[in-house]
Amino acid sequence: MRALQAELSKLFSLPGIWLAFLIGILGPAAFAALDCIAEKEDILAGISTRLPEVGFIGLGFGVQGVILLGVLAVSSEYVTESSEAGHGQQITTSLTAVSSRLQVLLAKAAAVSVVSILLCSLAIAAIVPVTRLILGEYAPAMEWTRLAGATLYWMFTALIAFSFTVLTKNGMIPLTLLMINSSLVSFSVLLAKVTTLAYYLPDRAGIDMFMSMSDAYHTPLAGGLVMLAWVAVLLAIAAIVFQRRDVGA
Amino acid sequence: MNIQAGRKFTRILGAEWGKLVTLPAVWLILAGTFVAQWVLTAAYTSVALQEGAILSAGLASMRYLQAGFMMLGVTATASEYTGGQIRTTLTALPWRGLQLSVKHLALVMIAVPAAFLMAASGVLYASLMLRDTAVGLEPDLIAASLAGATGYLTFTALLGAAAGAIWRRTTPALVILLGYYFIVSPLAGAYLPDYLPDTAGYYMYAPPSADPHNALTRMQGTGISILWTLLFITAAILLYRKRDA
Repeated sequence: MRALQAELSKLFSLPGIWLAFLIGILGPAAFAALDCIAEKEDILAGISTRLPEVGFIGLGFGVQGVILLGVLAVSSEYVTESSEAGHGQQITTSLTAVSSRLQVLLAKAAAVSVVSILLCSLAIAAIVPVTRLILGEYAPAMEWTRLAGATLYWMFTALIAFSFTVLTKNGMIPLTLLMINSSLVSFSVLLAKVTTLAYYLPDRAGIDMFMSMSDAYHTPLAGGLVMLAWVAVLLAIAAIVFQRRDVGA
Repeated sequence: MNIQAGRKFTRILGAEWGKLVTLPAVWLILAGTFVAQWVLTAAYTSVALQEGAILSAGLASMRYLQAGFMMLGVTATASEYTGGQIRTTLTALPWRGLQLSVKHLALVMIAVPAAFLMAASGVLYASLMLRDTAVGLEPDLIAASLAGATGYLTFTALLGAAAGAIWRRTTPALVILLGYYFIVSPLAGAYLPDYLPDTAGYYMYAPPSADPHNALTRMQGTGISILWTLLFITAAILLYRKRDA
């Protein structure tokens, strides 16, 4: 418990965390607003086919914030201080304070999950009034099950970013790959045109938890389970590597 | 110590080049981008085979390639700020404006051949695979597109370098660039004007549009991209000269 507290305090004192919150809260609301404005005429005329997605689209593209969160939580530990500050890395201090590596990793993963759930709730709290404001009484109802799916999607995405960064120790590559992959020009969407196996990629499967797109491949539950399996496997690999690797290397 | 101006310039260029090519991250990024380029071009080409779409499959992966070049640029400048290398640099070369401009030049020397190889290999692969379905493309168009693609990727790397010098840290610079190029621009593209760096740059390598009234020409696109790059580099140099290192 104290390890979790320590990880939370480290996470909240990172300068980059405010960028993550800014992107994670304003981004989804802005995308939802743009989408509502674009779809407004169709919805008022009652011919929109995308009504159930309006609003949720913001949650689909807004995961950038939690990706940054998951990446920063790990990469900040591996930043080398300047020579004036003794060339140290925070990870050595963390591992001195909590000597069980598994405990450090689990506490960190728990801290990332807690903050990503918090971030997603804030994003939902921003999206609902925005859609109400623009669409008025036509605003789609936000069902609890789908909101829960979106929250899980955010948490799983943060954990994938987290375990990926444990493997690379450097934030740049996971950040670039995951940010591009959750954008409109995602690799998974492209690969899905080549092979149906791509529907089992974590983001493609996970998005079925709350987006009822025309090309949905999984049921929400199955999609969630596929993504959970990815998270579990990646976390396990990250844990094994983290246990065995020399910290200074 | 008195050194002739020309000699000073070549020495600075040598130093900046040396720092750049000894960064392991630079080679990792270039190799990674190359591999990604092959995989993506193969994927795009096989989609093009199924749908019978004619070429441009070779250059379709440009969208993703630019991320590699952004990373390259950001690393080139932001790497100076990890561990205080910047103070050694500035002790050895106390001419800030000159030093940063020459760093951009050294980056161009790496970015141009890398960009050309990647763009050319993509087009080559696509044209081999689509040999039977694609109607003959004029060599002129291919040459112009390749030159445009090389130029665009180089400008993107320079923009990344300027952003890295402005924010002085890899993560925020990268998040802001990626956020604009991959999230904001594709989603809000319809509401944004044509002369922003990514859309203007697109016309540098895109095949001429069927509707000339709505599109920029290749030359206009190039000009606007040059202006954006220069704007960012100027801002970076001004801040660099003013700020405490």
